[in-house]
Amino acid sequence: MFRKSREFWLLLLLMLLAGSSFAIQRFPRPEFETGYQQPETMLPGPRAEIMAVVDLAVLILALSAVSWMVLKKRSRKGVFWVSMFSLVYFGFYREGCICAVGSVQNVTLALFDPTYPIPLTVLAFFIIPLIFTLFFGRTFCAGVCPFGAMQDLVAFRPKTINSKVDAALGMMPYLYLGLAVLFAATGTDFIICRYDPFVGIFRINAGFSMLLFAAILLLTGIFIARPYCRYLCPYGVLLNWISRFSYRHMTITPAECINCRLCENSCPYGAIKIPNSVKYAETRRQRVRKLMFITLLFPFLMVGGGWAGSRLQETFAGVNRTVKLAKELLVSDQNGQDVESFEIKAFRSSGKPLTEVYQEARIILHRFLIGGWILGAFLGLTTGLMVAGKLLENHQSDYVPDKGACLSCARCTDYCPVMGNTMPTELNHKA
Amino acid sequence: MDKLPDKSPDRTIRSLHITAFAGSVFALILSVMLILNFLQMKRIDPLNSRTLILLNERLKTNPEDKTLREEIRSLDLLARKAFFTSQWQIRIGGYLLLISGLVVVISLKTTDFIVKISPDEPGRQKLDFWERQSASRKWIAGAGVVMICSALILAFMTDHELGRDLEHALGGAVAAKGEPANANVGSDKANRENRMVELPADVPGMVSDSVTQSADQPSGFAANPVGFPTQAEIRKNFPGFRGPGGIGIDHHKNIPVSWDGKSGKNIIWKTKIPLPGFNSPIVWDDRIFLSGANETRREIYGIDAGKGTILWTTVIDKVPGSPAKAPAVNKETGQAAPGMTTDGRRVYAIFANGDIAALNFEGKIVWVKNLGVPSNHYGHSSSLIMYKDRVIVQYDQRGSAAVMALAGPTGDVIWKTQRAVKVSWASPVLVHTGTRMELILAAEPFIAAYDPENGKELWRTDCINGEVGPSVAYADGRVFSVNEYSKLTAIQLGEQPRILWEDSEYLSDVPSPVATAQYLFLATSYGTVVCYNVLNGEKFWEHEFDQTIYSSPMMAEGRIYLLDKLGVMYIFNASDKFQLIGQPVLGEGTFCTPAFTDGRLYIRGNNNLYCIGK
Repeated sequence: MFRKSREFWLLLLLMLLAGSSFAIQRFPRPEFETGYQQPETMLPGPRAEIMAVVDLAVLILALSAVSWMVLKKRSRKGVFWVSMFSLVYFGFYREGCICAVGSVQNVTLALFDPTYPIPLTVLAFFIIPLIFTLFFGRTFCAGVCPFGAMQDLVAFRPKTINSKVDAALGMMPYLYLGLAVLFAATGTDFIICRYDPFVGIFRINAGFSMLLFAAILLLTGIFIARPYCRYLCPYGVLLNWISRFSYRHMTITPAECINCRLCENSCPYGAIKIPNSVKYAETRRQRVRKLMFITLLFPFLMVGGGWAGSRLQETFAGVNRTVKLAKELLVSDQNGQDVESFEIKAFRSSGKPLTEVYQEARIILHRFLIGGWILGAFLGLTTGLMVAGKLLENHQSDYVPDKGACLSCARCTDYCPVMGNTMPTELNHKA
Repeated sequence: MDKLPDKSPDRTIRSLHITAFAGSVFALILSVMLILNFLQMKRIDPLNSRTLILLNERLKTNPEDKTLREEIRSLDLLARKAFFTSQWQIRIGGYLLLISGLVVVISLKTTDFIVKISPDEPGRQKLDFWERQSASRKWIAGAGVVMICSALILAFMTDHELGRDLEHALGGAVAAKGEPANANVGSDKANRENRMVELPADVPGMVSDSVTQSADQPSGFAANPVGFPTQAEIRKNFPGFRGPGGIGIDHHKNIPVSWDGKSGKNIIWKTKIPLPGFNSPIVWDDRIFLSGANETRREIYGIDAGKGTILWTTVIDKVPGSPAKAPAVNKETGQAAPGMTTDGRRVYAIFANGDIAALNFEGKIVWVKNLGVPSNHYGHSSSLIMYKDRVIVQYDQRGSAAVMALAGPTGDVIWKTQRAVKVSWASPVLVHTGTRMELILAAEPFIAAYDPENGKELWRTDCINGEVGPSVAYADGRVFSVNEYSKLTAIQLGEQPRILWEDSEYLSDVPSPVATAQYLFLATSYGTVVCYNVLNGEKFWEHEFDQTIYSSPMMAEGRIYLLDKLGVMYIFNASDKFQLIGQPVLGEGTFCTPAFTDGRLYIRGNNNLYCIGK
């Protein structure tokens, strides 16, 4: 008989390896000597504008449906089926583009580059999930994000991650967000899209590195639920922040928590806050020391992080096309290259002044210096806030979702024996 | 979280498991087939079919072979069919794989929904809140430290010279707050053409530059000289005989066209040089360097370009291996004929006895050695030339001619290439030919080019007979060599350099020619100057000055500057019509070639160094 874990591993691995067969190059055009004229390259026509409205309508409807399933129906199955719809529509039909996760970069670029006209649909895809989150928690993650849906599909044996490891890995999305913003703000690259692990699967076309990344995430996802959402997703950082202030977040229990503890390990994301009734008996001296520590920690982390980030100025800038070109031109002009790259040849034929490229490169380099400082300071601040957050006392008597980390998937609701004000006899018995 | 199967839907669960199993087996088979297909296509690689390439090569040699042509077409069609069939298989296989994967996942997910939840036994993992918080704090702090350390490691691994290189490339102008400097260094299209055509010697590769100005040192001093100069730095200065690359083309502006040594008109200063020497001045920032020598003493001078003061004199003596007695040389060569060179960090000089020295800008000896007394009946005269952080020596002597590169900081031999040539008095020329750097040397019996990186010979053309004094000229992929009692030869570079044209009407004994993309200017030792069409050797004009000329013509701002032995400078347009612009007189005889900086001209007379300008 089919044994899930072993066979699934093997199957998944082979499927992903097989995917690498899509990465073959296209055949070059034949060369004719007979005067045959190659037909003009035909480009597909632009997508009908009305379809953008359809996308938005689908987004709003899906968000509404998931929010309703989570808050009113408390139905995990309902959430699952909406997420499957989203996977098909936003994933396979829309091929992972348009995407709220990547829209962070468009918004950033629009903020830093006034010449960049951000499409209104992209802006709406950025804002609407945030608004829903502000009202209902991360229902976007629960059932609308195709990335989350894809990972949810393979989460067969989710294990609880140790809270300290979870906390440390929780810093990764901040780093990824910071880098994505830095590269977008400098007009360098949209790294979220470039390293999108799932778009290759949605499009049934991916390079080796993309497939490898997807393979690692999906294989990890069997045991660690939604690794991308929890430890990488930059948009998740924003949703996390906003969800903390959500007007009506889902609850584990529909009525008063009876502290039966059945839900204690139900959340594969470790997003359930366990009641803590033990007060920490701190002396005045301890409290003063803690306050001093936190006060001193922030400037230290921010300045230290900023300095370290600024040191990466040239490392980061090396990714920028203009800086790369300037670098190649410098080496080529000063050192004499036997073979010049296509980029240099293209530049030479453009007639653009060399100084212009050098000046552009220098400006970009300077932006990365500033950006490196800001990124480092941001990460320092984040680290400090996270450490400080772990210093705060948290008194609560019920099992409640961690509003920031909770993905509103509604799994925990299936574990709660409380049904309004009644309790099913069978589970009541077990409890 | 374990889940217990409810007994009633056992059959459904079993069916789902079987479906999942069947789906996974199907997917497995598909995956294997697709992987095999991929490997096969990678092995066959129709994009680069060796057979097709070979057949195409054959067709090039015999383009009229219709059978071969048909064979190529058939093979090409086969390769395309194979490729597109494979593509079709991959696409269909991919879809099937996706469907089977979905079947597996749906089956397993449905099973999950059917199976009822059995929560974990509560209480197993009850942890103390504060213990968890404390551990998390430490791990977060640890992650922060890891991030900072990773950033620092990455930072240290990154080459941090880009900013500096850009500054140098932009002419060293420092822009405040990241705003672009208004430096005008780069090359717009016209400039680039100029560089590649008229000014081909985009000289020695210089990637990094770590020169820092010290506040307590006069400007121009390299406080901690490491690395080597950028192209912009080199163009800004005058680093060796006949300027950057040694091709006789200067890039400075506002070069004076009139002066008079007797009345002092436009003579900014004049300084007596203690020892004689036929080496021409070289300039770096506000320093001029010269060497002088007689039979008993060898000296190098560092001179303040602003006032003409000799700031330091360094005596080169007690060099291990140096002969006790200076070699016998022709009086028109002397003991200090080879031009010096500098990379902005050190200055290099060589003497007729084979002593070669590197000095820093304060005149302190960095290293000194003797290369062996050159067996040269007139006396060694080949000038030094710099490339990156090395100094290149053309040491064509009787019996063991060679060219070598010595490390600038240490004097160690980086490479040395033996040459099957006779004695030569010409100097090396270093140019970028559009695809690579070439070090071009002239000596009987050939012109040869070497890779300055490793000394490997790149090409050679037999075209020289007799003793060679003039160095070659270069422009736009063409090399011009000339020597007395032989011929003037134009060589077109390419994969196989070929002789473009030859002429033997006017030849030079000492002055080296200078070329542009259109014109070649040749000065003979007896005072005739000729302008040739570089393409076919046709003479545009010739003009007799009737004076002995040992100095080499230099081109600056579209004008040719040519000194005769009496110190009269002939300035004429570098065009196909002879137009004399001026004929200023220095008032002192000279053998040397002038050096240029913006608005200034430096001429070494037989006894004095002159600075000309306003």
